[in-house]
Amino acid sequence: MDHAVKQPLLEVNKLSAFFRAGRGEVQVTRDVSFTMAPGEMVGLVGESGCGKTVTGLALMGLLPPASSRLEGQILLQGQDLITMAPATKRRLRGRRISMIFQEPMSALDPVFTIGHQISETLRAHQDVSRAEARNRAIEALARVGIPEPALRYDAYPHQLSGGMRQRAMIAIALVCEPQLLIADEPTTALDVTVQAQIVDVLGELCARMGMAMLFITHDLGLVSQTCSRLVTMYAGEVVEEGQVDDILLRPRHPYSSGLLRSLPALTQRKARLPAIPGRVPVRGDMPPGCRFHPRCAHAQPECTAPQPLRAVQPPGEVRCCRAKELILPGVLPVERAA
Amino acid sequence: MTAPQPLVATRDLGVHFRLSRNTVLKAVDRVSFDVMPGETFGIIGESGSGKTTLGRALVCLEAPSAGQVLHQGRDPYALSRRQLRQHRRNYQVVFQDPNAALDPRMTILRSVREPLDVAATMPRAQRDEVAMQAMERVGLSPEFATRYPHELSGGQKQRVCIARVLTLRPSVIVCDEAVAALDVSIQADILNLLADLQREFGLTYIFITHNLGVVGHISDRVAVMYLGRLVEMGETEAVLARPLHPYTDALLSAEPVALPSHMRTSQRVILSGELPSPVSPPSGCRFRTRCRFAQDLCAAKEPEWSEVEPGHWAACHFAGTLPVSSSPLQGVAEVVA
Repeated sequence: MDHAVKQPLLEVNKLSAFFRAGRGEVQVTRDVSFTMAPGEMVGLVGESGCGKTVTGLALMGLLPPASSRLEGQILLQGQDLITMAPATKRRLRGRRISMIFQEPMSALDPVFTIGHQISETLRAHQDVSRAEARNRAIEALARVGIPEPALRYDAYPHQLSGGMRQRAMIAIALVCEPQLLIADEPTTALDVTVQAQIVDVLGELCARMGMAMLFITHDLGLVSQTCSRLVTMYAGEVVEEGQVDDILLRPRHPYSSGLLRSLPALTQRKARLPAIPGRVPVRGDMPPGCRFHPRCAHAQPECTAPQPLRAVQPPGEVRCCRAKELILPGVLPVERAA
Repeated sequence: MTAPQPLVATRDLGVHFRLSRNTVLKAVDRVSFDVMPGETFGIIGESGSGKTTLGRALVCLEAPSAGQVLHQGRDPYALSRRQLRQHRRNYQVVFQDPNAALDPRMTILRSVREPLDVAATMPRAQRDEVAMQAMERVGLSPEFATRYPHELSGGQKQRVCIARVLTLRPSVIVCDEAVAALDVSIQADILNLLADLQREFGLTYIFITHNLGVVGHISDRVAVMYLGRLVEMGETEAVLARPLHPYTDALLSAEPVALPSHMRTSQRVILSGELPSPVSPPSGCRFRTRCRFAQDLCAAKEPEWSEVEPGHWAACHFAGTLPVSSSPLQGVAEVVA
């Protein structure tokens, strides 16, 4: 098998995140496990509140230690990021793992020029002179498609449009050529035509630099265009993982199927959209066993038992005890997908 | 032939904002269209295209600076203040963010009842009853009546906003990005609800959105806006299958569609650059700075708004002659059909 030969770049094992709430704790994510190979593009999808952003922040080590706690393992080429000393982690963040966010305006510092913010990152991690850092920052700006990079070096964030700011963010994230980029809804605040440009830039840079990307989004369309593998989360748990093309045609988890079926573009015009009944359970009041079973059309008594992630074919994992017997519709109705 | 009267129409409508002594922002500029009773009319555009301002002008929340808005052939601004107040009950709007639209200190029942309180046409007991009926109609059980907005999910709050406009029995509802803030599974629920209500009450919708999947699904006709102008308008199928304007083409092609790689057919057109400033739009055709087909003519002369095919309008010098691609959405429609 391919997996056995290649050492994974990232291995997340049974990661759980807890937030302090009053005197107690709430569990925000549970048993999140997935791997990423070097250079691989993986989509992490789910609806608001499913824990995808928390997972991204946990990987980056950005959850506040005073009010949160992690269990499990996050292995970056075998090194556990959870037990790592803060100083070591700081050296690694920005150099080997970088992250970009949804709202570039709040992630960029308004009082420094974007050029300064790029060189600062570079000089924090590498022993380069100011002049050298400036040149490499200008190069980075050019690489993300900012016109007249030498002039834009001295621009402040407010002088740039939303799309240009996101490009500047990407330039900061990529200037040290990390092995892993975590992109948390990087295009959600942008218009579709600009989104297409940004996704294009990201895909091209990842391919050119051999960088892996964890693309966190709620947009299954975007994932299908950018990623080869897909991890779906629901109510704080990973419920399905597999190749994007396999899952789009034949999802193995009823929630993935429900998500795909509710996309308006994939239903005949004016026809009724197959919505998922009910609503996402709230933290602290999770149903026993499969967290989706109260909303699931295929629920059986056995669904209330604890559900581990099980391996399935085509290669993937799914947290559903009925996965092997169910034939679920994906982007096409079941008859058409055969 | 006597054509039915359009319920909402605009004639060379302009909404201008004066930014300083010599700069005027023409958020909506010379826009004309008709919306027929019972129709769902979609307006697509990116941020800054003027679609929200247009929507506000349609329900008299923004006064025209030029041209006219017509409601059933009449100019609402010709009405007296009192008549206008009564008249606008017929023309309602649902906004994107239900959190901002609901008063956090009011119970759900009070929020739903508020339009009736303002109208003050019926006794209190009857108002409560009508409000409860509206809540029931949008799928909110009576126990929600005494709750507050923070106790509800996003989808439920949007239902409250819809119930609230229903209490006045409007004939037109402008939905300004009404489902944009919702997760897809909830969005599907609300779109179904809107379709049911349309059937039941004979509603006319003007659906303003940037989401092509949504607009393609529910609209009978769509109009595409760019920098305050309409660039294309027509039956939804026609616009999706054979876009006439290069901007529509690029917009459609940029929409990410969830299909496995072997089923995606069309080539993507990636626009260069971003929306120019609406304060000083480019000369001639406003889209020319980003258009891959732009010629000298496009800078020199503004293209006319013309009916290129029956019922299918566009503002492009070369409409109908350009090798525009069919959209991935249309590809999906064929696969799904």
